[in-house]
Amino acid sequence: MLDFALKDLKGHRVRTILTGLGIVIAITAIVSLGSISAGIGEMVTSSTSKVGSDTIFVTKKFDMSQMSGPPTAWQIDDLTEDEVDSLRSLSGAKRVVPVIARNFGGLMEVDAVDMDDLDIFGAADLTFKEGSMPTNDDQGVALGYVAAGVLGASVGDYITLNKKEVEVLGIVEEGYGSYDLVILMPYKYGEDVYDLTGRATQVMIEPQDVSYVEEIKNTITDEFDDLSAMTMEDALAMTKQMTQTLDIMTLGIGFVASLVAAIGIIITMYTSVLERRRQLGIMKAVGALRRTIMKQILEEALIVSVISSLLALGISFFFVDLINNVLLGGTKIAVITPVLAVGAVSYGVILTILSSLYPAWVAVKIDPIEAIRKG
Amino acid sequence: MKEVETHALRGVNVRIERGEYVAIIGQSGSGKSTLMHIIGCLDTPTKGSVVVEGREISELNDDELAKIRRQKIGFVFQAFNLIGSLTAIENVAMPMRFNGYTKTESIKHAKELLKRVGLEKRMNHKPNELSGGEQQRVAICRALANDPEIILADEPTGNLDSKSGSEIIALLEELHGKMGKTIVMVTHDQSLAKHAKRQIRLKDGQILNE
Repeated sequence: MLDFALKDLKGHRVRTILTGLGIVIAITAIVSLGSISAGIGEMVTSSTSKVGSDTIFVTKKFDMSQMSGPPTAWQIDDLTEDEVDSLRSLSGAKRVVPVIARNFGGLMEVDAVDMDDLDIFGAADLTFKEGSMPTNDDQGVALGYVAAGVLGASVGDYITLNKKEVEVLGIVEEGYGSYDLVILMPYKYGEDVYDLTGRATQVMIEPQDVSYVEEIKNTITDEFDDLSAMTMEDALAMTKQMTQTLDIMTLGIGFVASLVAAIGIIITMYTSVLERRRQLGIMKAVGALRRTIMKQILEEALIVSVISSLLALGISFFFVDLINNVLLGGTKIAVITPVLAVGAVSYGVILTILSSLYPAWVAVKIDPIEAIRKG
Repeated sequence: MKEVETHALRGVNVRIERGEYVAIIGQSGSGKSTLMHIIGCLDTPTKGSVVVEGREISELNDDELAKIRRQKIGFVFQAFNLIGSLTAIENVAMPMRFNGYTKTESIKHAKELLKRVGLEKRMNHKPNELSGGEQQRVAICRALANDPEIILADEPTGNLDSKSGSEIIALLEELHGKMGKTIVMVTHDQSLAKHAKRQIRLKDGQILNE
């Protein structure tokens, strides 16, 4: 009887569109917000997986509540030269790598690191689309794929950092997560560009052994009031907390959107049943069972929900593309994962079917005699 | 406002045999439509019993009544009561779909029925594209879709001009005469009732005479 349901939907286009519109808005909102949460999660995971889990990150203490925008837009104060030197002499530390990090354009990050320590920074295996990674003796930078796109720079071009002209020596291939947004340079050259000596925004410490991790962290916490030390696991936990907040927000907005959509579906489906009282009554008079009537209304809901949810998914892909490529210049901050896509479409279908149960019940209860009399 | 209980029928005792052509006559409010609804398993009496083809129906639920309606009874209404969003052939096929036939089977049979009443060229038209007489012929085909024993016609010519009305009456007579269907026709029109072999006259919910 799917053909009857389809015919009825075609025959009442405005009602069908109105029913579908609620679903489209709700699912688009859920998928779009969910994609940002999923995208940030993926970006962090792909970047952090390149860095050893035992690596300890030391920065100046900062308050999370003061941070806004993407992580690359945060600017933490630098450690002093003395602090960096003190960290170098910590017991249990195998390697101490200072990194100068500067926000660039709100979205990108300039990182100055010793090119011999790129492995600890997680950038040792980057492959280049153009040019190559600068060596410690070079005076130039390597650009992440998106950073190069946003700056419109090619190898041999110059970009301005801290009011200084800096030559582009290499452009990294696409697909390295947050490294797509990075401008990398040798540490020594970073000191020149930013007029610093021996300072670092972040110090990465590789322990001699995993058993030293807690000891090093505790020493830093005890001896340096001003510094904070965390491992990759701690950083992941922090990011997880952030994405969880985003997930709760998505759930909240999704819930409100779903509620509005459900009320819309109930109203339009209920009105549609009332409009078709006569038709449904005639169907019962000529032998339709209660479950046949119920099935027809739910089949209509199923058709509308599948089409609307898929449409919403299409619109969400468009929005995600807009966010990533137009607003963020190619950063994949929003990602529609298969789980999110399938989950959202299923949710749209279930929401519509559940919202249609009451109108379907009203249809089942229609008295055929009354319908015929009024006919 | 308090609802007042009224009895549309009182003490009615009717037996209609297989193959009969019966007219139920009465003025508006006489209870003839209520009687037809009860015979047609659309309604059940508050008291008494109704037996259709040997089966007591007074205690049946909605779905059990619907099964009897689709298998044993065909309805022809004054206002045709076709479904506007469906074509003539789909309207005729609909009761067969409810009865478990596939779309192909039911459309094939509906086509044969519509051909039989001369509507083969109008079968893909929607009700609002058909004349009153054509719509009533479609309704008769729908009533015949599941080959029921009983055809219940409620003022079948009430909305038709005299020519179309005569055609419909001729069709009902053919169903009775050639196909042996039991016809129960409800009407207030004495001249129409004369076509039936037996007349039951109702007044104020009671049988006045037969």
